[in-house]
Amino acid sequence: MNTDAHERARELIALSGSEELSADQSSNAWLVAHLETCASCRAFAENVGETIRGLRAIPIAAERSLVSTTQMRVRRRALELQRQRERLWLVSVSCTAVALCALLSTLALWRGFEWLGTRAQLASSVWQVGFLVFCVMPALLVGILLLAKDKHLADHTGSYTG
Amino acid sequence: MTKESTEIARGLRRQDPDLLDRLIEQYQHRLLRYLICLTGRRELAEDLFQETWIRVLERGHQFNDKYAFGTWLFAVARNLVIDHMRRKQPASLDGLLNDGEAAFDVPATGQASAFDTTLQREQNEHIAAGMQHLPAEYREALVLRFQEGMSLEEIASVAHVPLGTVKSRIYRGLTALEPWLKGAAL
Repeated sequence: MNTDAHERARELIALSGSEELSADQSSNAWLVAHLETCASCRAFAENVGETIRGLRAIPIAAERSLVSTTQMRVRRRALELQRQRERLWLVSVSCTAVALCALLSTLALWRGFEWLGTRAQLASSVWQVGFLVFCVMPALLVGILLLAKDKHLADHTGSYTG
Repeated sequence: MTKESTEIARGLRRQDPDLLDRLIEQYQHRLLRYLICLTGRRELAEDLFQETWIRVLERGHQFNDKYAFGTWLFAVARNLVIDHMRRKQPASLDGLLNDGEAAFDVPATGQASAFDTTLQREQNEHIAAGMQHLPAEYREALVLRFQEGMSLEEIASVAHVPLGTVKSRIYRGLTALEPWLKGAAL
């Protein structure tokens, strides 16, 4: 009997119980025949059986506290995710509403400036520049105010620390 | 695709906490055992146990009901273990070979005769100790096959390796455990 036969027998023993091996009748028959004549493989099969029984007998159980802590954490996270989704929905709706309002008001303003320009008999480039300035003005004002506030705070902090 | 898997997939897409409660109860021991087998440390395994379920909640929509939930759950847990080990030190599962800490507690078993109980307990201790000394891939294959009763295909799917590799890991793992069974390597 060559080494390959023992190797094959040991591999089959290790996979015993697997669906693949159960379906393979010829391998099963060969293994049974081999085990009848080979004491070392028979011993290996017994050891594997013992090992598998031993593996199944290692009892590792999760403690109740671990399970309940996990359930609590999962519930809390689920709630967070739900709130995030709700917030995201609100933000999307708000963004859509703001974009729509901006579009409509820009159109209305454009028309307004056009009408004023025509009434005042201004060149179209003039009322268009006026429109641009009007649109940019709020952002400019806010920028100036923020800069002034920062400077004010910096001055005060300097006076406290210096 | 089983009806159960479909229902789980639907519940996971809804991030249904009641369903998750049930799944945690159902898979608690199996998942913890698998994590202890991979990490070799109960404390770490318990942390990863919680993280696994949070991940299941967050990524539940990725669960494909063509597969068994258990297989997917173990794959999620395995990825978390690998992520954890990578953060600790760049490694794959190979880096999980034990660092000398006792992981497999073997409490007293059954109500057999005192002699049988002692013998069985000793043998289990030997096997548990042997498991500690096996490479993590072999440990994983053995636990999934013989403790979780997974098919070879399911193990291949959890471990992301070909079927042949699974067979070879089981064979080598069992062969490596043989001396421990006899207590020779202790």
